[in-house]
Amino acid sequence: MRTRLITVLLPVALLAPIACERARYVETGSPEGVITVGNVDMQDILKASSGMLESLAETGVLKTAKNKPAQLVMGEIVNDTSSRFDVGEMTYRMREQLVNTGQAAVVTTFGNTPEDKQAQEVLRREKFLKGETSEPLPDPDFSLTGKITQVKRSAGDTKQVTYTFRLTLTNLRSGLEVWTKTVDMTKLGNKNAVGF
Amino acid sequence: MIRTTDITDITNITNITNITNAATHDRPTPRRTFACAALATIALLSAGCGTVNTTYTRTTPADSAIAAQTRVNALFQEIFLTAKEVRMNRTKGGPMEVQIDVENNGLSYKTFSYRFDWVDPAGNVISSQMSVWKITNVPSGGSTVIRAVAPSDDASDFRLQLRESKS
Repeated sequence: MRTRLITVLLPVALLAPIACERARYVETGSPEGVITVGNVDMQDILKASSGMLESLAETGVLKTAKNKPAQLVMGEIVNDTSSRFDVGEMTYRMREQLVNTGQAAVVTTFGNTPEDKQAQEVLRREKFLKGETSEPLPDPDFSLTGKITQVKRSAGDTKQVTYTFRLTLTNLRSGLEVWTKTVDMTKLGNKNAVGF
Repeated sequence: MIRTTDITDITNITNITNITNAATHDRPTPRRTFACAALATIALLSAGCGTVNTTYTRTTPADSAIAAQTRVNALFQEIFLTAKEVRMNRTKGGPMEVQIDVENNGLSYKTFSYRFDWVDPAGNVISSQMSVWKITNVPSGGSTVIRAVAPSDDASDFRLQLRESKS
């Protein structure tokens, strides 16, 4: 009886540390993180925002604005993938970089659906009390719009997904597209994995 | 160009083996056949090792090639890759851009992650959302270019980190 018990429990005891991985902290966006085939991962979002920021910096398009720093309106960025995630994960990182380094100022009180309605109300009230009729504030230079799409293919059990992040900057004075950038990410495999 | 030379080398080695057999007029024994096969395998492996399927029209280092090439190459050598050239240029928008030509002259497919941090003239790392880990692959005999743009015009140097995939 005792021998049988040892025979059963010993392999379980030996395999237990291998089978379970204890929770631990990893650096956000590090290659150690989980990589999924059918979803946009944090690594993908960070790579996309970095790629967009690099392109904005190297072209110097924001330096061409009338306002210094350039005033930017965040337009609609559509997530057209089957992966559910907040597009703000990408845009807020971009905003942090652009606003905090003085490359751009994001206008949050613009349009009929402003990001900060309360601030817009305060601005309107101030203008009304001063008797101003024209619309000097805010006066944005650019609007940022975009789309995230996917192309899925498979061969047997192997799946391949390409996620494409596209952003466009439109000059609000001319109505013309002045900058656009595409960042692709292709993942291939048949099951999710922990990175390296 | 390099590949052509290597193919010629393999042909020469095979010919030498045949000449040796003909000169001795011996029937090849199983041991000798095994030795020949081993020699041919080694020749093929050494032909594959050290060749990269990339060529350049430029024959001298670029004007923007920097002196840190040796140190960057030493880092890549640790994961059995070669940094052929490191270039730094100022972009149209103002900040610096670094480009590194990476070659895989080994026999295995390489996957690695890299991250550039940018440093200001005072030596401090500039905190940035642009400094993220990126993954890239280089097949055996292949090459790639890894690049990064500095987050601000003040950045004057970079720091590079590499991480090789275990898979």
